[in-house]
Amino acid sequence: MIDLRLPQRQSPLAIVFLALRILRSLGIAQLVIAALFLFRAPLDGPLIFVPFVVILVFGAISALSWWRYTFQLVDGELIVVKGIVRVDRLTVPVDRIQSIGIDQELLHRMTGLVKVSVDTAGSSEAEFTIDAISRPVAEELQRLAVTAAPTSTTPTTDAVGGPPSPPVIVEDRVVFTHTPGRLVRAALTMWPLTGLIILGPFFAFGEQFSRQLDERFGDLEIDTDQFVWWWIPVGLFGFVAFSILLNIARVILADWELTLRASPTSLRRTSGLLSRTSKASSISRIQVVSSAQNPLQQRAGLRTIGLSTIGEGDLALIGCDDDQFDIVRGLAASSSHISLNRRVHPVEVFLAVRNITVLMTIVAVTAWFVAGWFALLAYVVVPVVWFTQRRHVQNFRWGLGSELATFTEVFDNSSRQALLRKTNAVRVTQSIFERRRGLGYVHLVTAAGTISVGMIPISEAHAVRDTILAAAESDPRPWM
Amino acid sequence: MTAPFTNDPIPIDEIPQLTDDAFVPVDPRYLRAALAGTAITAAVVIIGGSILAWQAEETLVVAAITAGILLLIALSVVVRVLEVRRLAYQVRQHDISMRSGVISHRVESLPFARVQHVRVNRGAIERGLGLATLQISSAGPNITIPGLAEAEAARIKLLVTQRAGMDIEDVDAEATESPSAPPTIPATASPPVAPFTPSAAPPSAPPVAPPAPPAPPAE
Repeated sequence: MIDLRLPQRQSPLAIVFLALRILRSLGIAQLVIAALFLFRAPLDGPLIFVPFVVILVFGAISALSWWRYTFQLVDGELIVVKGIVRVDRLTVPVDRIQSIGIDQELLHRMTGLVKVSVDTAGSSEAEFTIDAISRPVAEELQRLAVTAAPTSTTPTTDAVGGPPSPPVIVEDRVVFTHTPGRLVRAALTMWPLTGLIILGPFFAFGEQFSRQLDERFGDLEIDTDQFVWWWIPVGLFGFVAFSILLNIARVILADWELTLRASPTSLRRTSGLLSRTSKASSISRIQVVSSAQNPLQQRAGLRTIGLSTIGEGDLALIGCDDDQFDIVRGLAASSSHISLNRRVHPVEVFLAVRNITVLMTIVAVTAWFVAGWFALLAYVVVPVVWFTQRRHVQNFRWGLGSELATFTEVFDNSSRQALLRKTNAVRVTQSIFERRRGLGYVHLVTAAGTISVGMIPISEAHAVRDTILAAAESDPRPWM
Repeated sequence: MTAPFTNDPIPIDEIPQLTDDAFVPVDPRYLRAALAGTAITAAVVIIGGSILAWQAEETLVVAAITAGILLLIALSVVVRVLEVRRLAYQVRQHDISMRSGVISHRVESLPFARVQHVRVNRGAIERGLGLATLQISSAGPNITIPGLAEAEAARIKLLVTQRAGMDIEDVDAEATESPSAPPTIPATASPPVAPFTPSAAPPSAPPVAPPAPPAPPAE
């Protein structure tokens, strides 16, 4: 049994991770320059000991950091003590923790340890990180944090009004696990060029990369006489196929055995092949549930689900089918049966076309002096905007019940829904154009995103606003 | 003991409506504070334009540019005056709302139960006019109400701070005890749900304790 009330120290192997973090904080560029300096001008005489002294100092600092870094859970507060010269004592109430992420990168996998990131609503990044602890300790910490989240389903007092009873600990149950086949399908139905994300780091070193390409292939001479037209489609096909393969590799690496687990108070997502990542968030902190499908995913019956929470605890679930979407919506306390029976005013198409026409007229007039008649090509955008906006208005649906939900489709489709009690503010806006036509927008603002509906009659917008406010103000259940 | 969870539909006409005529405009003295920056800009433009026109050879061109800038400033003054006239707020039992915008109208409402902290700011010009700006922050958006009399800002801050830390039932009980209390929002254990009928005209809910009229400007 792990007793987190006692001060816990990280695994001694954390010294290595701490040293790596200190090195990273010095800056990759500076380290590369130092390495090049040592390589180009080897040290002579007593200076030869400099690297050893540096390594010794790094080791000592890392060991001291490890020795000083302790964490414990006392009276519902997570207390972290760290620092060598200046000792910091960080106290975080456990019920304020938004999410606890458990990552197992390659080096962690080799050592059987995990990294824990604790996130609160007060910061845009993780509040603090525990570099290397054993998985049981990390999972105990994660379980206690998400169990401490306020929820009306967990009784806090007994029937006679006695002292608070301890929370009932229920083991996580597996909601679903994606098979390798499902992951491959999910990867195949993403946009074909998504896989190029993997090549991003190579382009970051653009100059060196292109120099390498030039050295290898610079001598190749292309005989333009032998050029045949079908090289272009074959080349494009090869490029797309290469990108798809990259994407499959990316999905397999990042989302291997993607599993969603649920307890009565929390959801936990784990995945990863080389680097195993675990992210948990309490259900009460989920603010917005969204889903997205591109045309390929629509044909395959798959979608990506997003659960937006306060802070850094957002959960993204790729390759989910409709049943899994309904289950996740149910777990996130959202209704899967809200009636999307309302539409928006078609005048939105006119507004979009008018705006783009005015903008393109300015562009065309400006470009006339440079491009002449070709400047009129700017107007090609207008029918595109008309078509997309018309499809958007035709397909946009929204509904209001215990939550506000929207659905839209142009080529991709997407849906967003939020419980009314999660509302942080409601906004009704009206531009001059909308005022002339008695229309308006209503925006439901949560702590993790906004759901907007417009153009609708202003009386309807006011009624939606009043309904949302009444729901948010009369519902005593916790919203985060 | 926790009350059993119920989820009965409630009629839409029981939901109080945020009416436009119950908004309280900000202190008229705020117009002076709002125009102070514009006045300084105009003064700089006039002085700079005069010096340039005196020194430059193309006096007419400099004068025309200066006049153009002054025209833009005059337009911004008109917009600013209209903006300040439209600025208004409404405090109800459970929420605070702010009305703003001239070209694009905007009404934002923030329930007290979502308030994270409240702050009163007083800049140099506002201090001179006896005004203050109230900033109410939630985990999502903030509401900033400028041009409040100092005492009024302090009163609203106190009210918001108290209401932010209270349970819904306590707010309703407090309102029931007060003889002049407005009708309360029905305290259901669940949000009011469908059927949603926007055509139904909900009754209006008067705001809570309308703040006292602004104090006369200190001469």
